[in-house]
Amino acid sequence: MLWIGLHLPLLSLEALRATLAPDQASLPLALLQAHEIIQADAAAQALGVRAGMKRATALALAPSLLLGQAEPRRDAQARRAVAHVALAYTPSVACDAERPAEVRLEVQASLRCFGGLERLLQRLRQDLQPLGHEVRLAVAPTAQAASLLVRWGEGFERGAHVQGRSALHRLLDAAPVALLLAARPHLPALEGMGLRTLGDLRALPRSGLARRCGQALLDEIDRARGDAPEPQAWIRHPPSFGSRVELYARADTTAQVLAGARVLLARLVAWAQAGHGRVGRYTLVLHHEPRHRSDARTPERTALEVALAEPSADAQHLQLLLAERLARLEMPAPALELSLQCGVLVPGTPPNAELFPTRASQREGLLRLVERLQARLGHEQVCHLVPRADHRPERATELRPVDAARMPAAAAGMVPGVMWPALQPGEPLLRPLWLLPEPLRLGSPASGDGGPGGDMPEGSQQRRGAAGPLLDGRALQVLAGPERIETGWWDGGLVLRDYYIAATPEGALVWVFRHRLPGQAGPWFLHGRFG
Amino acid sequence: MNLPLFHPSDPIASCLVGSGPGGLGSGSVAAARAAADPVTLHPGLWRAHQLGGGRQGCTASGHAVLDAELPGGGWPHGTLTELLLPHPGVGELRLLAPALAALQAPGAAQAPGHCVMLFAPPARPCSQALAQLGLDTRGWLVVQPRAPRGRAPAARHLLPDADVLWALEQSLRSGQSGAVLAWLPGPLKTDTLRRLQLAAQGYDGPVFIFRETQARLRPSPAPLRLGLQAAAFDGLVLQVLKRRGPPPPAPLRLSLVPVLLPSQQRQALARRQAGTVAPGMALA
Repeated sequence: MLWIGLHLPLLSLEALRATLAPDQASLPLALLQAHEIIQADAAAQALGVRAGMKRATALALAPSLLLGQAEPRRDAQARRAVAHVALAYTPSVACDAERPAEVRLEVQASLRCFGGLERLLQRLRQDLQPLGHEVRLAVAPTAQAASLLVRWGEGFERGAHVQGRSALHRLLDAAPVALLLAARPHLPALEGMGLRTLGDLRALPRSGLARRCGQALLDEIDRARGDAPEPQAWIRHPPSFGSRVELYARADTTAQVLAGARVLLARLVAWAQAGHGRVGRYTLVLHHEPRHRSDARTPERTALEVALAEPSADAQHLQLLLAERLARLEMPAPALELSLQCGVLVPGTPPNAELFPTRASQREGLLRLVERLQARLGHEQVCHLVPRADHRPERATELRPVDAARMPAAAAGMVPGVMWPALQPGEPLLRPLWLLPEPLRLGSPASGDGGPGGDMPEGSQQRRGAAGPLLDGRALQVLAGPERIETGWWDGGLVLRDYYIAATPEGALVWVFRHRLPGQAGPWFLHGRFG
Repeated sequence: MNLPLFHPSDPIASCLVGSGPGGLGSGSVAAARAAADPVTLHPGLWRAHQLGGGRQGCTASGHAVLDAELPGGGWPHGTLTELLLPHPGVGELRLLAPALAALQAPGAAQAPGHCVMLFAPPARPCSQALAQLGLDTRGWLVVQPRAPRGRAPAARHLLPDADVLWALEQSLRSGQSGAVLAWLPGPLKTDTLRRLQLAAQGYDGPVFIFRETQARLRPSPAPLRLGLQAAAFDGLVLQVLKRRGPPPPAPLRLSLVPVLLPSQQRQALARRQAGTVAPGMALA
């Protein structure tokens, strides 16, 4: 058995710091419990704020000091995220209520997989970084010893690492008595008896010590030395994720919401990595300030559903997408709290990163680009061109929003559709490259003659081509046609049109049509341009 | 008479010019060779009468006459190429079609991630016509601006949408490859264009910006600017307005993929020559 003890000495303070607005991040911060400072950060300590001070004293020393109430629930959520990070390395992760700022994990079986203890510790530190905690680590053969050593701290800059049993015993004999939880009520008495280290305690008769200080003290020493079993409260990976942050200051803008959501996303990623999966969609709920005015229309909360095209466990990518979604959001009221929920974990680790760009990595890059564009512009604004087998020009090309979830198939050339064969040299182009979304009605010449009708013989039509329809006040010259399109009677979109190719005075070619109405010449419409 | 032109961002070129003719090392064979052809020294260096080379390669435009006038011998990659048109539909897509088809061809270096992206096209592209031009539109992306809320729909084409500019810049910075076609009507700030040009420098593929003809009077950071005009019929008059190289030549006339059959074209031309006053008559 090899245990790693994780100690988060500033857990409560850092959990509070995560709720601050971006512009408050550099201010000194202290935790308050029952009007007394219990913990102050480095900036506050530099100004002279110490634990145990009254609130007013602290504020007199540091007028810009931010004060927050200690809240065990907030700390528990922060510690759970740390435990989730640890779960990615081993299934045996334990923590208990007695030591609220500690997590222990058993890694003997994982050493080979992660390339040794040093590498594992390095990766663990890296993974813990996004959560923004100061972490101390200790390694020992028993959980109790790891817990003792990690809190010892003195003389161990980067934590104590002991792997052998005898070395552990030597180290433990020198450990101060104050580290034992069960010894805390008896500290003055033990101090008075001159018992300073665990070695001093062990030299005493066990029965007498048990009578004076309780069996718990002996048990703790035995467990630390590996002489007694250590039952653990194991942490399991929860099937769904939910975390909540109460913002220090209300968030009026989406940028402040994004800053608050950063820690939630980091926890989400930790949860996903603990389950060896990725996140496909999640919901961010903004809990709004209850309006005191009689404005009943303001909703209590706004739920922001963020769906990813490809499941991801990349915190930066998740954050980028959320930023784009938030940029589009109009907040109905300031937000006080944020909560993030995710019900489904997509199993499977993310694919390996590539050193050189390959087809797969480029496709993924494109996917992410499309995802970002859709997040900002809206789903309907990023489209594919889908050809259809229909003679009506307006229906022959469909602009279909890119379904990012099915994008892989699209990029591989699997979009359904009909392809026309490419032109042979000399063959004319049959359709204009630009189709107007709505046919544009053209003016007719003032002479009253509507120009060529669909039912006229071709010769007469060409002779009178000069009297064509007007585009921007200038006459078009009808050059070729008609091409008759008469279809769609079966679906209500009946089209009876004669299409002509016409030229503008500058020589650009356009596609015009008139409805083929028996016996009369209808108005001209512009439908496309040969771009 | 031959002044070595240099690109300001090239350290080699600037140090070469800074050291002056004496600093070249008069006895050195390499220096003599470099003086004879500075392009061998650095791709960003050329003589005033030469065409500048592309640094990131280029794609042949499919029109030999045009290729001869373009620096690098084709549509350059990794820079903005501005095409100024009086109105959409003068033959701009037919002009670009051969290059786009070459980028999509299975053997092309760009093939793996090829993706043609259209930003704010002025109308709906017709996939059948594009397929006839030999383009596979299945990998194409069309990015449209959102319909404006307050403004009249007509106002949409007067100014480029901020979202479209953002999307364009993001796409250029995304490290994708393939062609980008963007329609940016209306006046554009120079710093906007410069941002786009900077973003395009990291992009692997040609970037075409379509603007109005009026924009030719305003300066632009795009290294290549072309004015397009329709020519009767199925033709295009193309004028190089700005390029890295000697002063632009006289306007080129290119013939495009035909829309009219040869007989129709002859007839139409004959009629146009015979009745040049016909439009005026029609108005009267």
